[in-house]
Amino acid sequence: MRILKILILTILLFSFSPFQAFADKSDDTLVIAFSREITNLDYHYGTKTEYLILGDMIDDSLFYVENENLTYAPSLASDFNVVDDVTLDVNLRQGVKFHDGSEMTSDDVVYTYNFIVTNDKNRRHKKLASWLKSIEKTGKYSVRFNLNSPYANLFNDLYRIKIRKNGIMGTDGNWDDNAQATSLNGLGPYKVISFDPGVEVVLERNESYFGGPKGNPAIKNLIIRSIPDMGTQQAELMSGGIHWMYNVKKDVGEAMAKTGKADYQIGPSLRIGFLVLDAGGYSGEGNPITKLDVRRAMNHAINRESIAKNLIGGPAKAIHTACNPVVFGCFQDVMKYDYNPEKAKSLLASAGYPNGFDLDLWSYRDKEAAQAMADDLGKVGININLRHGKLAGLNKARKERQIRAYFGTWGSSASPDTATISNIHWRDPNKGDRNLSGDPKVNELMLGAEQTLDIDERKKLYAEGLKLIAEQAYWVPLWSYSEGVLSSKDINFKQDADGYPRIWNITWN
Amino acid sequence: MIFELFAKRLFPQAFNNDLSELEPKHIFLRKSVNHLGFKFGLTMLLIIIFLGIFGPHIIGISPYEQDLTKRLLPPIWVEGGNWEHIFGTDGNGRDYLARILYGTRISLTIGFGAAFVGMIIGISLGILAGYFGGWVDQLVNYLLTCQLALPGLLLAMTVVFLIGPSITVVILVIGVLHWTLFLVVSRSATQRIRNLDYVLAANAIGASKYQIIFSDIIPNILNQIIVIFTLEVGIAILSEASLSFLGVGIQPPTPSWGLLIAEGREALFFQPWLIILPGIALFLLVVSINMLGDGLRDITDPNSKIEIKSKVEVPISNLKQNINSKK
Amino acid sequence: MLRFIAGRLIVVIAVAITLSFITFFLLNYAIDPAQAVAGEEALFEEIEQVRIQYGFDRPILERYFEWASGVMRGNFGESYYWNKSVYLLVLERAPETITLALMSVSVTIIIAIPLGILAALNPNTIIDRFALGIAVAAQAVPNFWLGLLMIILFALTFPIFPVSGDKTYFHFVLPSIVLGASSVPPVMRLMRTGLLDVVDSDYIRTARSNGFYGWNLTINHSMRNAVLPVVSVLAVQLGHKFGGSVITESVFAINGLGRLALESILGTDIPTVQILVFIFAFMFLIFNLFADILNAYLDPRLRK
Repeated sequence: MRILKILILTILLFSFSPFQAFADKSDDTLVIAFSREITNLDYHYGTKTEYLILGDMIDDSLFYVENENLTYAPSLASDFNVVDDVTLDVNLRQGVKFHDGSEMTSDDVVYTYNFIVTNDKNRRHKKLASWLKSIEKTGKYSVRFNLNSPYANLFNDLYRIKIRKNGIMGTDGNWDDNAQATSLNGLGPYKVISFDPGVEVVLERNESYFGGPKGNPAIKNLIIRSIPDMGTQQAELMSGGIHWMYNVKKDVGEAMAKTGKADYQIGPSLRIGFLVLDAGGYSGEGNPITKLDVRRAMNHAINRESIAKNLIGGPAKAIHTACNPVVFGCFQDVMKYDYNPEKAKSLLASAGYPNGFDLDLWSYRDKEAAQAMADDLGKVGININLRHGKLAGLNKARKERQIRAYFGTWGSSASPDTATISNIHWRDPNKGDRNLSGDPKVNELMLGAEQTLDIDERKKLYAEGLKLIAEQAYWVPLWSYSEGVLSSKDINFKQDADGYPRIWNITWN
Repeated sequence: MIFELFAKRLFPQAFNNDLSELEPKHIFLRKSVNHLGFKFGLTMLLIIIFLGIFGPHIIGISPYEQDLTKRLLPPIWVEGGNWEHIFGTDGNGRDYLARILYGTRISLTIGFGAAFVGMIIGISLGILAGYFGGWVDQLVNYLLTCQLALPGLLLAMTVVFLIGPSITVVILVIGVLHWTLFLVVSRSATQRIRNLDYVLAANAIGASKYQIIFSDIIPNILNQIIVIFTLEVGIAILSEASLSFLGVGIQPPTPSWGLLIAEGREALFFQPWLIILPGIALFLLVVSINMLGDGLRDITDPNSKIEIKSKVEVPISNLKQNINSKK
Repeated sequence: MLRFIAGRLIVVIAVAITLSFITFFLLNYAIDPAQAVAGEEALFEEIEQVRIQYGFDRPILERYFEWASGVMRGNFGESYYWNKSVYLLVLERAPETITLALMSVSVTIIIAIPLGILAALNPNTIIDRFALGIAVAAQAVPNFWLGLLMIILFALTFPIFPVSGDKTYFHFVLPSIVLGASSVPPVMRLMRTGLLDVVDSDYIRTARSNGFYGWNLTINHSMRNAVLPVVSVLAVQLGHKFGGSVITESVFAINGLGRLALESILGTDIPTVQILVFIFAFMFLIFNLFADILNAYLDPRLRK
């Protein structure tokens, strides 16, 4: 029995000793939180905003999006020359070093782009370079891009593709997709010290960073923690465990600010929300959504302004186009549907549904907004069964053509051009599952606008495309989001006009 | 207490002082009147059921009606609360009291439904195993071990992921994961009863297996089954709450308590009542069911030491009379 | 005795195999493995390519045997979601769950055993009712709610403990209490009834007549007999913690196996979920086996 006593005592002691068991912390260290896990350091293998932010911290590319004017500035490129519609010459900066100390030359650039284009398994970013016919080395610090056809969103893709060291991803026919997954030799203002997938990324300032449009970061050490639970993030912020968190909802932000323990900023974001409707009947021929009046009724039924104002807050507001009004090409003079439940009901009646019908609405985020919309639709007779779950479930259902209507959003992170969002959502339906319109004209117009460099021509094509989308109500455009950020009083973080968090600009107070 | 008054008025024969003339159900009633846990549990449960069924009508507010301008109002006891929304409102401006009251129906429906499914499966397998023994018993034993070793929550999630969440699916999934107690009890009871003389006699005179099962075995295990049933209802209610909490159970806007707690999670700091109130509701419901179940077990257990108190004095002379008359 | 153990072991192995097959079947039916690997942005043809490339188009039995033989050789598979071998994933996350499990059982011991003893020594008094009341309450409290409540009370209102995370052992206190609380009712009741039975027995009466009394009588003499069945129940409860810690780990942001399982299911990562279900089932079976052996050792009638 004495043994039992000793055992109990040991357990008690063990339990209450603040033993350092699993990790450590130090000075000049900024700690930020991401909700979604980072399981791969290589930006080329991830699509979430988190990966883009991380990519900007540890990688660099030929071009970069300046926050003030939302324009593209040369980054690793020193200057460039548009020779003609399908040819671009780029000169590289000299003396730029990878994290391992070696210098960047045109060999690395050529290698990177060839890798993106020829690697079959790298599906995610292969489309980025689908416009690339070939890339030639024209000098130690210069390259030439030869395009298949004119491509308007060229600079966006040149920004998205991060330059990798020559040979690091393997060779043609023998690519190693995981070469940069858990450790990364990049060109960015921070380098990776350690990486625990799904848990934490530890970064340290790259002391030999070339500066460039991002500038040199003020803070030496940076830790990114994956904290999926927003409540936990708040707690950590309050107790000093983290200094910065984003995607903060209005209620939480305001309440936290009131406690005086953190600063709350809410500004505009490029993200927009929308309902995608199965006009093409992929989920079932002749289903109610295939009828124009039904889709128009849905547009009238939802009180978007109220949701934007009360649930999202900040500068969020209702939109009427399949793009964010502030970006290039987002033509605004399209058919608009006002909030009018009575009109919605009469449209439904004329479509043959005087008593409404049942509908599964899929969603994966903004649960409160989803419920508010379900409620609005219910009031005009469309009886919603909300299928709210994780994105993976929604993607699966969409691939299996089960979805009749879903609530989606698109960030267009740091990309001030309609092309970024339309490229994904209006593609050939035989290739992808996002375009549910069933209307080949939409694909022709919206993607056609990428294939010319003539600004007027692009604007004209987008105008026609957006007008068609609105008139046929292929979508229910909902609202533009706001970006809410909570930051500790110890740091100074200024929000940018596009809502994209440029972490490397943070300084201590 | 009030309970006793009710009981005495409804079943006056039960309170006869001559204890030898009491039928089993009267004994049950007498014992239950003295079991504090049973009374408390039953009363609380009845109150909760009443609130669940009639509550929303009484307060006249719908649990589904949203008002985006009145979101996250605090309850009446927190600064800023008002009588219009006694328990405040949730993130979509819906009255919280209405939602919690309505949630009772969800919990009870799923609790009873799932326990029922579990009961059917468990009893069937248990009687089969107990009656036939041999390899049937081995097989059922094997199934039992498999069932116990299964990480239930994970499998429930996977199945719901596969089929899609709905009340029916949730009831079935929980039921299919919770039959073990029924099995154990019905199997051992069946084994015991099967070897009793009167069953062997019934067999000898040609009664079919099914006749024996239904007329002899089932009535005898009924007591224990009822006890287990009540306990399983409590377990099923908590399971549903867990599934809904994780997002793979009842879907919004249906106000399952587990779902309400999940929705309140982000507002942990500033609106803790969103979490506290539904949790209390869950706790009260399950506690009352468990107390009822425990009470039932104590009362129906022939070995328990509950007294049947007789409060009337029996004069010695009467006793003598009774003894004489029974000669 | 050895025959008993051997018999039980065979059942354990058979059950583990059955469960792993059912899980394999369910998972591959619920989630399209080719799509899970190909990722969100993949086009239809790419998914088909992946299907052929990774051999997902073969019959399920064949794929199961391939998986099973891999496991026996120590190859737990690759996780496409976490970008790691499942073996490494498990190795990294296991210590947290093990710590949590052990600490929860400690909590259970600390709460349930003294309560049980107290209740047994003072049967049918207020103390007894109080102890039983705690058992009833603990059974009715939803564990995720208890967790959130603990955070509200002991990490926010009174900032004693950290809100979440798993850096120090201090972080594990609240989660252990929550997880341990669910085991308290059965252990406490067993301790109580076990001790009550023993206290009435002959040899205790003998001891008492020999002059032993009070604490000495209880602990040294009675407990020795009463404690062994409690140990076996504790073993079973410990087995439950693997797989049963999913919610607690999720609420407290502990990066253990439970949370890994949850996020892997939500991320449709078949290889990881498959291995984890197998591990959870296996742990439970092993601890159950230990409890069975212990009981059979005490009570020879159980050695069928």
